[in-house]
Amino acid sequence: MTAFILRRLGVLGVILFGSSFILYNIAAISGDPTADLRLSTDPNRDFLIASLTRELQLDVPPPLRYFLWLKGVLGIFVGNPNFGMGRDGSAVVDSLALALPVTLRLVAAATLLAAILGIMIGIVTALRQYSRFDYSMTFIAFLLFSLPVFWVAVLLKEYLAISFNNFLREPQIPMRWIIGIGLISGLFWASVIGGSRKTFWTAFAVAFAASSSLVAIFGATGWLLNPSLGPIVVLLLSIGIAFGVTQLSVGLINKAALRASLTMAGLSVVAYYPVNWVFDNYPGSLSIFLMACVLITTAVFIGLAFSKIDRAPIVRTTIITAILSASLVIVDKYMQTWKPYMQTDAINYRPVPTVGQRNDLLDSSDFWISSLDVITHLFLPTLALTLIGFAGYIRFARGTLLEVLNQDYIRTARAKGLSERTVIMRHAFRNTMIPMATILVADFAGVVGGAFITESVFAWSGMGTLALQGIRSQDLNLLMGVFFITATMAVLANFVADLLYSALDPRIRVGSGA
Amino acid sequence: MKFTRSAKFALATAASAALAFTLLTPAQAATRSTVILHETNPITGLNCGLSATNSTTCSAVSYLQGAGFNYYNNKKELVKNTVFGSYKIVKNTATDFRTQWTVNPGRVWSDGTPITGEDLLLSHILSSDAYSKAAGLGDPTDKKTPPAFNGLGYSGVYANNIVGDPVLSADKMTVTLQFKKKIANWDLYGPGPSPVHTLVLMAEGKKALGTVAENEAARDRFVKAFRDKDTALLKKMGDIWSKDYTITTVNKDTNPLLLVGNGGFLIDNAVAKTSVTLKKNPKYNSGPALSGSVDTVVFKFIGDGTAAAQALANGELDVYAGQATADGVAKLKAIKNVNVVGKDEVAYEHWDLHYDTVPDEAPYTGLFSVKDGARSKALRQAFLLGIPRNEIMEKLIAPINGVTEPIRSTWLAPGSAAYDKLIAANGSAFYSRGTQESRNKSALALVQKFYPDVLKNPLKVRVLVPGNNPRRAAEFALAKANLAKIGFDLVGDVRTDWPSKLGNSDYDVYFFAWVASSVTQRQSAEVFDTDGGNNITGYSNKAVDAIIDTLDSPLPEPQLIAKYIQIERLTNADAVTIGVFIHPGVVAVNKDLKNVKPGPLSPTIVWNYWEWSY
Repeated sequence: MTAFILRRLGVLGVILFGSSFILYNIAAISGDPTADLRLSTDPNRDFLIASLTRELQLDVPPPLRYFLWLKGVLGIFVGNPNFGMGRDGSAVVDSLALALPVTLRLVAAATLLAAILGIMIGIVTALRQYSRFDYSMTFIAFLLFSLPVFWVAVLLKEYLAISFNNFLREPQIPMRWIIGIGLISGLFWASVIGGSRKTFWTAFAVAFAASSSLVAIFGATGWLLNPSLGPIVVLLLSIGIAFGVTQLSVGLINKAALRASLTMAGLSVVAYYPVNWVFDNYPGSLSIFLMACVLITTAVFIGLAFSKIDRAPIVRTTIITAILSASLVIVDKYMQTWKPYMQTDAINYRPVPTVGQRNDLLDSSDFWISSLDVITHLFLPTLALTLIGFAGYIRFARGTLLEVLNQDYIRTARAKGLSERTVIMRHAFRNTMIPMATILVADFAGVVGGAFITESVFAWSGMGTLALQGIRSQDLNLLMGVFFITATMAVLANFVADLLYSALDPRIRVGSGA
Repeated sequence: MKFTRSAKFALATAASAALAFTLLTPAQAATRSTVILHETNPITGLNCGLSATNSTTCSAVSYLQGAGFNYYNNKKELVKNTVFGSYKIVKNTATDFRTQWTVNPGRVWSDGTPITGEDLLLSHILSSDAYSKAAGLGDPTDKKTPPAFNGLGYSGVYANNIVGDPVLSADKMTVTLQFKKKIANWDLYGPGPSPVHTLVLMAEGKKALGTVAENEAARDRFVKAFRDKDTALLKKMGDIWSKDYTITTVNKDTNPLLLVGNGGFLIDNAVAKTSVTLKKNPKYNSGPALSGSVDTVVFKFIGDGTAAAQALANGELDVYAGQATADGVAKLKAIKNVNVVGKDEVAYEHWDLHYDTVPDEAPYTGLFSVKDGARSKALRQAFLLGIPRNEIMEKLIAPINGVTEPIRSTWLAPGSAAYDKLIAANGSAFYSRGTQESRNKSALALVQKFYPDVLKNPLKVRVLVPGNNPRRAAEFALAKANLAKIGFDLVGDVRTDWPSKLGNSDYDVYFFAWVASSVTQRQSAEVFDTDGGNNITGYSNKAVDAIIDTLDSPLPEPQLIAKYIQIERLTNADAVTIGVFIHPGVVAVNKDLKNVKPGPLSPTIVWNYWEWSY
């Protein structure tokens, strides 16, 4: 194992050296930093060119200049790395430190969402293989997969930002929308639930009625201008969550788990008013974190109190229920913030933005308003990235699950009379996650590199923007700084994926056979 | 407790009325006082005089923060800012030319310190190579070590002609500059005010604004150091000036000394690579009075044009300024509540023919070489005749700004009486009269004089094609198609590093744009002068050089135009270059915002910010 790790680290060093040398030289010969100045008619043009040459050491040929750069970077081993200065006069390290969190915020959320949604839908399509739902999801997956992000972004901005903001001026939902949304939701749920023709149409009718009346109520009550859930809706949803989570994790047959979850859901609602009081009087991430700690501790105790045997799954179920129903309270709080947020001068009733990371004109003293602002700014880019990213996960999850379902051990599990839920959730789903975990790790390495196009379309200044800036302005130090981070992450991620695979799948061992 | 029926009814009515009321109250727009401007590139610092920070965005931001003696308006005229001060020539001889710059009394910096002539002295340190060397601040042209004030102002007209140091008057409000000869456009080479006391305080390690008395004492220390060439203090100030202003984040922790100015607006906060927010300067009295209804100006940096146009449609921007494409302009016009304003850029597109060998290049022996005498001249004329300028205008430029007429001078831009006078006599008629068909006919005749079977064996012409530029690719395709009709076979070499290939003897033809950052008498002189810095064709004509030499001293306009006419007659007859179009720009403005009049020269959009109003 140690030998394996050492060998991989050695390879990492060689790869980084070789690729950085090649990239540096390619980047250096691909353009001329003095190009703009050469087109200037300024009287002191020659002085300007000479002073730029001095600043960027352009008189040193690129292969040699690379070693000047490398010398600074190798300082990393003596605790004094020097990635140099960018052409904008700021240290490359500072630029990277500013850009990295931005990119992480943008892409991490989208990647996680895409993975969760994609895996969920992928599993359902696998279970409903060759159904209408499977075919339509396959169609949608390929459609989304083939869409360019800049185009999706333009459409999303046009309809979900510009038109939606215009719509909010007079939020009357027209009848055709009510019916249309009802139809889509009816079809979706009916196909997911599947079954006989009768079940199909019942599901369709229920979903249609529920969604269109919801939409109609939203329209009639001006809910979109002043949304909230309120304790009753939170209670109802929490009960639903308790049933759902219990069913998926241990089965409704496990009464102890159901009772513990229901208690937890009930507690979340009991805490609704006190928690809102804390939200109003002690806003901030610290108080949310502390309350989350209290919540999870409570969930553990309740889980333990209700269970006698097989405690771990029950505690786990309770914790998941607790977190989900508590998030409803937070969602409700954000909904209550929606109206004051829209009323601020900076927002002025146009809450969905098309560009930027946050509204710089917004007074940032109110925690809820400023964090809601971050969320509204994340909305469209995250949606765009998720839409495009999750198609791959759908296909991958579907394929893997189908393959697992054909394994002998699944047949064995069925043969010994386990319930379908246990077979799917415990035997099939877990094994599906092994390859999924490794592609997730690889995806995260890509995350750090930033999403060039998405960032530029939404005017976010993350790693992608930095890389572009490095290329466009022939800023080699900056470009190499970005490269250094991304390349290291990519190589490390592959490494971690290998280790993870061997940890998750006992059939695989690293370091053998070398 | 039981409700009667009527009580229930009343309650229900009240409830629905309340609901209806909240619904019907229209989303009231607050009276707007913020202008959000779009910029493509972010600022990289607050001091635009460094190569790291120099950009049009930086100039625009600093224009709002500081007022000087003059500014360019939207007609490329240099306007005197008489609120701030006045300037004049006080001695006007061939060997002793003096200009005098006076600050009006009562002008103040935003920290309350009165502005005096002492605040004009820093300009000299930033522009004079001689002073930098004499004060031990380093030789700006040194190949290894940068000077203490590592700026871009050195080695220019000012440095080459200034005599001694600026002289401060007894009342300290006036500075007199002495030059060794008459300087054309001398009003561009005057001093600008800088809050030197803040530099001194920062050099002494201060992190907070001083009192007026402290500030004036600090300024006195600077003036003393300036006179005595006190390397120690000046070097520290230079370090601050060159390094401390490269910040892109401004918040409450930022040293307030960095933000002192005398403009109408001051930086309130800035988010790196995202935006800069400026708030009204309550002590502003160095320029025209503010209209009053705008109290916040935000520069928002959006690189992607489509994204910016959509942000404008979504009310996240009030002013959009960007690279113009036909599609983009159509999209902007489709947005409600937005005025689309055309705008000329300072760049003009032109085609150059290689004339002779450029210094430091391999010998040029191509098709157009002047050494071939009459034959190459005929070919050059034919080539310029064959460039389908009208077609280029109609297909590439008119869809953006409606302009269909190609430019006929490379010295003046269209739109003035002087231009009309110039093109009537500058020999450009030879390339503009008739239709493209008739021009093709005369061009073909010229070529066939020397190459009778040219249509069967076309002449290969090597063209340097700027890469990464769809408009230039289209321009090249149009030219190639038409020039094929008169026997030229254009072979394009598409390169992204094309600017460094200008003048290279491997090419017969170049086409691109020159960018001018100011309006001077010499205008395009560097392109045509034998020793000109921008002479990439190897062009040399003694008569032209002689006229260019006379452009250095100030001339009245009619005389100047007469000289331009003489030069262009010669260059048009020699057939070295031809202009095609002024690069079009586009600005779109929120309909409620009034008086936004973008100009071509820096500070482009913001030049009249005091007139903006809602």
